[in-house]
Amino acid sequence: MFEVLEHTADIGFRAWGSTPAELFAHAALALEAIAVDTSQVEERYVYPIAAAGEDYETLLVNWLNEVLYYVDGERVVMGRFQIDQISPERVSGKGWGEPRDPVRHPPRLVVKGVTYHQLSVKQEGERWVAQVFLDI
Amino acid sequence: MIEVQTDDGIRFRIPKQESLGMRTDVLVFASPELIEQIRRDLSLRQAVNVATLPGIVGPSLAMPDIHQGYGFPIGGVAATDWEEGVVSPGGVGFDINCGVRLVTTNLEKDEVRAKLRELVNQVFRDIPCGTGGKGRIELRDKELDEVLVKGARWMLERGFAEERDVECAEEGGRLEGADPAHVSSRAKERGRPQLGTIGSGNHFLEIQFVQQIHHPEAARAMNLHEGQVVVLIHCGSRGLGHQVCTDFLAEMGAAMKRYGISLPDRQLACVPIQSQEGQAYLAAMRASANFAWANRQAILHFLRDSFRRVFGNHVKLTTLYDVCHNIAKRERHEVDGKKRDVLVHRKGATRAFPPGHREIPAVYRHIGQPVLIPGSMGTASWILVGAEGAMRETFGSVCHGAGRLMSRTAAKKGRTAKQVEKELEERGVIVRSETKDGILEEVPEAYKDVDEVIEVVHRAGLAHKVARLRPMGVIKG
Repeated sequence: MFEVLEHTADIGFRAWGSTPAELFAHAALALEAIAVDTSQVEERYVYPIAAAGEDYETLLVNWLNEVLYYVDGERVVMGRFQIDQISPERVSGKGWGEPRDPVRHPPRLVVKGVTYHQLSVKQEGERWVAQVFLDI
Repeated sequence: MIEVQTDDGIRFRIPKQESLGMRTDVLVFASPELIEQIRRDLSLRQAVNVATLPGIVGPSLAMPDIHQGYGFPIGGVAATDWEEGVVSPGGVGFDINCGVRLVTTNLEKDEVRAKLRELVNQVFRDIPCGTGGKGRIELRDKELDEVLVKGARWMLERGFAEERDVECAEEGGRLEGADPAHVSSRAKERGRPQLGTIGSGNHFLEIQFVQQIHHPEAARAMNLHEGQVVVLIHCGSRGLGHQVCTDFLAEMGAAMKRYGISLPDRQLACVPIQSQEGQAYLAAMRASANFAWANRQAILHFLRDSFRRVFGNHVKLTTLYDVCHNIAKRERHEVDGKKRDVLVHRKGATRAFPPGHREIPAVYRHIGQPVLIPGSMGTASWILVGAEGAMRETFGSVCHGAGRLMSRTAAKKGRTAKQVEKELEERGVIVRSETKDGILEEVPEAYKDVDEVIEVVHRAGLAHKVARLRPMGVIKG
C-alpha cells in the first residue's frame, strides 16, 4: 500500500494502487500514518475531500494538503479513504474517521507541508506509483 | 558529481559554468571534512539551482551546516535585487521565522542540577509541544489579527512580556509590513490554537549551562558567566506559517508561467518581488514571522512561571536575544562597491550583523549582534557575535545549527527510546518528549559536529565565538 522513504532532514513515502483512485486513497493513508498512530481510529464521521490540479502530480500535492489540513487544522484523524471521481485536474472523495484524541491516537510527527521535491506519479505496468516528500 | 574548487580550505566555489542556467557562482563555507559530508546528499545541486533564480545578487551561498532541503538547501542564503529580483517562499521554508530565543537565569548549574527532574517535568507540563493538544492562549479573530501585525509587541501590551524581551529580539520581535488580510482563514485556524506550543521535529526547549566563555568582553555585555544556567527555545510559526507557505506555493506555481519564469525545481517557485503575488507573499510571511515571535514570547511567559514554581520568586529570566533563521528580509548591502537594496532569503541561516550596525540593540552594538546556534539534542549549543566578514561575504549571515547528517529512519535503527534516554542521562541530560520517535530521530549522531560547523564560521571571520553551552534538560515534541 505504501512505504516510508528516507530523506536527510525530513520524510517521504512511496504509495501504490491499481488505479489512480486507489493510489490517492493510499497516499492519504500514508500521510495520516506518518502524522498520527492510526491503529485505533473509529469511523465515526465521514469527511468530504476535494482538490484541483494541473496534472496528477500537482493534484496529489493539493489532495494531500486537504488531508493535512484536516489533521493539523481541523484536528481530525482518518483511517479509510475512498475516491469517488478522479481526473488529472480534479479529485473528490471522502475519508472516515473522528476528532483527534491524543490518548487513542498518539501523535507521531507534526507534518508542516507537502512538497514538490522529487515528486512523481507514474503508471508502472499494472500499477500506479507515487513518491512524495513531506516537510516535518 | 559537482566539482568544487577551494584555495583556503574554507571557501568552496562552484563556478557558474558548472550548470546551464546558473546566473552566479555557488560559494559554500565548509572544511575539507564537512564538504565531503555535504557532497553525499543533494544540497550542492540545490545550491546550484538557487543560482538560477532571476535577479540573484552575489553568489548563491551555503553555510557549513548545509543539508538537503526542498528547493533551497537548508543552510542556504540568497539575495535578490529588490526591484528586479524574485521572492521564493521555498527560500524561507514552511516554518516561517523558525528561530531561537536564548534566556539567561540568575541560577547556577549546581542549584538547577539538584532539582533538574522536577524542573523538566514542570516545564513539560506548562509548555505543550502541541503535537496532539492545544496551547494555553485562546485568541479571538481580532486578537489573532493584532498578533499578526504586532508580534511580540502584542504580548508586551497584554502583560506577557517584559520590555527587554522585545528590545532584544531581531526586528524588535515585529516585522513591519505584515498584513493579516493576506493570511488565509485556513492558516489562521491552523495556527490559532498553537500559540505557545513548541511543535515537533527538531524543535525543542533546552535547559543549559554556560560551559566555556571564549570572548570575555562580549560575555560581559550579555551578562554571561561560566556555570550559569540559560534556556534555549527553538521553534517557529507553527501551523500558521506552514499553511501560508502551502497556500503561496500553490499560487506561485501558476503565477510563474504568467511571468515567464521556468526553474529546475518546482519547489523553488518564485515570482517578481514587485508583483502583486510577491507583495502579498511578503505581507503574509511577515505576519507569520510576527506570529512566531509572539509564540516564542508566550513560551517564555509560561517558562517564567515554571521556574518560579520550582525555585521561588527570586528567579529572574532575561532575554539575551532572539533570532530568526527562516526568513526573507529587505536589507541594504554593498555589492561590488555599490549600496543596493536586496531581499535576503535566509533558509536555515542566521543574521549576523557586525559591531556598530544600527539594527543591533544598544546594549550589544559595540560587540556585534548575538547569534544563537542550537546544536543537536544533548550535544552543545553556541552563542556567537556577528563580524565584518559576514557583511563582506554573506549578506550578514551565518549558519543556524549543526545540520543533519542522517535520515530519521536511519537514526531510529537498532535502538529504543529508552536506551537513548538512558545514554543521555549518563551524560547528565534529562529528556522528556511528547512522542517516542521524537527522541530517537534526534539522536546526536544524526547531526554534524556543531563545534566543527562553528569553527568554520569563526575561522572565516563571519562571526566570533562567545560561549559554548551544554544541555541539562530537553523538552521536545
